[in-house]
Amino acid sequence: MNSFPPLPAERLFTHFLDEVDGTVCLPATATAADLEALLQPHALRFPLFLDPAKPLRDQMAASTFAPASCRFGPFCDNIPGMNWRLPSGQVVRIGERVVKTTTGYDWLRFVLHSGTRYGEPVDYVIRLRPDCGFTLTTRFHGPPDRLTACIPQLLGNGWMHWWDSVDLIHDTSGCCLRVVVHCMPHEAPLFTERLAAIAAGTAGVTLTSNEPRPDAPDGLPDLVLKTTPDRAITLAGELAPRVSRSLALCYNGVVHVHLQPGPDLPERTHALALGVAAELHEMGGDWHSHHLPAIPPSLTESSWISILEQALHGS
Amino acid sequence: MNDLDVRLRALLPRGRVLTSPAQLAAYGADGLGYKNYRPDAVVLPADAAELAAFMRGAKRLAVPLVMRGAGTSLSGGPVAAQGGVIVHTSALKAVPVINAHGFWCEVESGVTLNDLDAILKPHGVFYPPDPSSGPVCTLGGNVASNAGGAHCFRYGVTSNYVLGVEAVLLDGSVHRFGGPAGGRGPWREDWKRFMIGSEGTLAAFTRFWLRLLPLPEKVWTFRATYPDLTTTEAAIHALVADPSYPAAIEMLDPRGVAMVESSQMACGLPEGSFLLLVEIDGPAPLVDGRVPHVAELLRRAGSTDVTFSEEALIRQKLWKARKAAGGLLGQLSPSYVVQDAVIPKRALAEVLRLVYDEADAAGIRVVNVFHAGDGNLHPNFLFDSRVPGELEKVERISKHLMERVIAVGGTLSGEHGIGNDKSGYMPLVFGPDSMRLQLAVPAAFNPTHQMNPLKVFDDRRFGS
Repeated sequence: MNSFPPLPAERLFTHFLDEVDGTVCLPATATAADLEALLQPHALRFPLFLDPAKPLRDQMAASTFAPASCRFGPFCDNIPGMNWRLPSGQVVRIGERVVKTTTGYDWLRFVLHSGTRYGEPVDYVIRLRPDCGFTLTTRFHGPPDRLTACIPQLLGNGWMHWWDSVDLIHDTSGCCLRVVVHCMPHEAPLFTERLAAIAAGTAGVTLTSNEPRPDAPDGLPDLVLKTTPDRAITLAGELAPRVSRSLALCYNGVVHVHLQPGPDLPERTHALALGVAAELHEMGGDWHSHHLPAIPPSLTESSWISILEQALHGS
Repeated sequence: MNDLDVRLRALLPRGRVLTSPAQLAAYGADGLGYKNYRPDAVVLPADAAELAAFMRGAKRLAVPLVMRGAGTSLSGGPVAAQGGVIVHTSALKAVPVINAHGFWCEVESGVTLNDLDAILKPHGVFYPPDPSSGPVCTLGGNVASNAGGAHCFRYGVTSNYVLGVEAVLLDGSVHRFGGPAGGRGPWREDWKRFMIGSEGTLAAFTRFWLRLLPLPEKVWTFRATYPDLTTTEAAIHALVADPSYPAAIEMLDPRGVAMVESSQMACGLPEGSFLLLVEIDGPAPLVDGRVPHVAELLRRAGSTDVTFSEEALIRQKLWKARKAAGGLLGQLSPSYVVQDAVIPKRALAEVLRLVYDEADAAGIRVVNVFHAGDGNLHPNFLFDSRVPGELEKVERISKHLMERVIAVGGTLSGEHGIGNDKSGYMPLVFGPDSMRLQLAVPAAFNPTHQMNPLKVFDDRRFGS
């Protein structure tokens, strides 16, 4: 019936900006500044940066989620396509420039966060979102148990869809609950009112909004723990005394752990990961650190990987 | 009783093996309809344990195995294209865990989508993918084909919501890829990514862990009609870029409008108009404030007929008309093909014109009812497969459509999957190196292609 001769070459992405679809293709080495320069005239934005100074591919290597994943999902739901260099040096296209696809097996989500095990990214196609013109950053302050009590009020109803991020942050200055919303300026009072009502209704909690000094970026986490949303909130608190900063991305069930720099950083990271690995795995979660190699595969998994590797190496 | 019959009855209790022609007739086709492949047998495992036990012996049967939920696929997916045994998973209906506080649930693969919705609703949460076949389609089929639906524009498709998959491989081993936490689990790699959208070619699915969202508090549905494709496209472009973030942007062309208006679903749509059905949702104070803005946007694009409502009855009537389109098509024509392709939205009018021109020239009726916000086209070609040459005409138009879709930067399927309907087009998408990567996936999990042969890729034949 419908048959076609194989294409003579791979169909690669070329760099583009499609302001109608809200997609852009740019090098994996691009930073937030590069992207902002491109997007500024088009009222579009990419909300998932962890560290605006770092190239996109470093962010993919560091975590599968960013704070704004609360509203927009993990990186893999916001990067529909890539040009990917195979270990053989050959570059192939993985994924699409359109967001919705079910054409073939999903190599994109399989390799996006695989580090350099199966090659490396050359270019990303990124899904953009409308720039609404106003970002409101608020912080709830108070004892950790009171802040935790605010979380279901933020996430357990229809308002949840509109928070860019809801992060419980423990650091050396204490604990706070950070809520970011990106909205049209005239809608900001609605969000402020809602947040104020939650604070007012929760004893011992105060609220501050859009402090004069803008937030420093979170930076790339040293260790990422993936678990269920409810467990991430408690886990971030349990780890707090042993780390310099822990952020629970409350809806996504992710804990971003930041440690003090030092020559023994990989060892400290590994020790923390090992301490929680069993419980994470039990729930279908995992841990990941860009300082450490991936966990060794089991015998069963090795047999599947070796078949994929043969294909990746061109045999 | 033939040899296969005897061997199947050794693996499963007697009542759960179907082999009579009358019983098998119901399993010859999926929603694609006009292609029929009678299986040699159908088995109905009673639960996940029985399915796993069956799979442990199934390899030795040495016949193709095809997993099937409700059979509502529109791409020729869950059919026995190379004969063999269909494994019907409809009895796997348990929903063992709903953790509304943690935003996840555990469901078996035979649970229907609307049943899950009804079970979740009292907990204040929902599972967003919403294909039109919701009343009957199963989660197993949804995961296998990475199903979408009308509200994917904002909420995303199945792959955005699957946290974990329990899969039984051909050697009978049962594996949990991910789980409630949605990570890799104890594996080095995230294997569930290959399982989702694999169209039954890798493993049998027994249960899933799914991510949930809180129910939106309030919904407004807009109806806007347009005189032509150009103004309709302008409205779509404006909506997708708008900060009101519509949940759904659906389109019916004038032929779809005429079909609805001549049915019991009639809702007063002007003759010859293009219809946009748009939905926004959110907390009442927020979403109520957005209503005038969205209405003005729809008018500014060229509509003089914009109405909107929060009333459940009015909204349901509009959605019923939209979602019943497939059934109405079936009444208009002995056979029809629903194509499924996704294109960059700047090419919407261009590609739709190609569809109209080619179909009109070939004397084939075509109706377009689709997910405009996603650029996810669904041209419905109406024909009679009993008339010599009609199917060939439809296949020729489909081929030209897919060539244009790929040329403008689109892809072959947004939510129906490839099945055996579009497997011949795969070389349009994958070059030699990426094709090698694609074929490595079944080589790892199903190297003999015993599971669902002749699907996704033409040369996946069992026993070759």
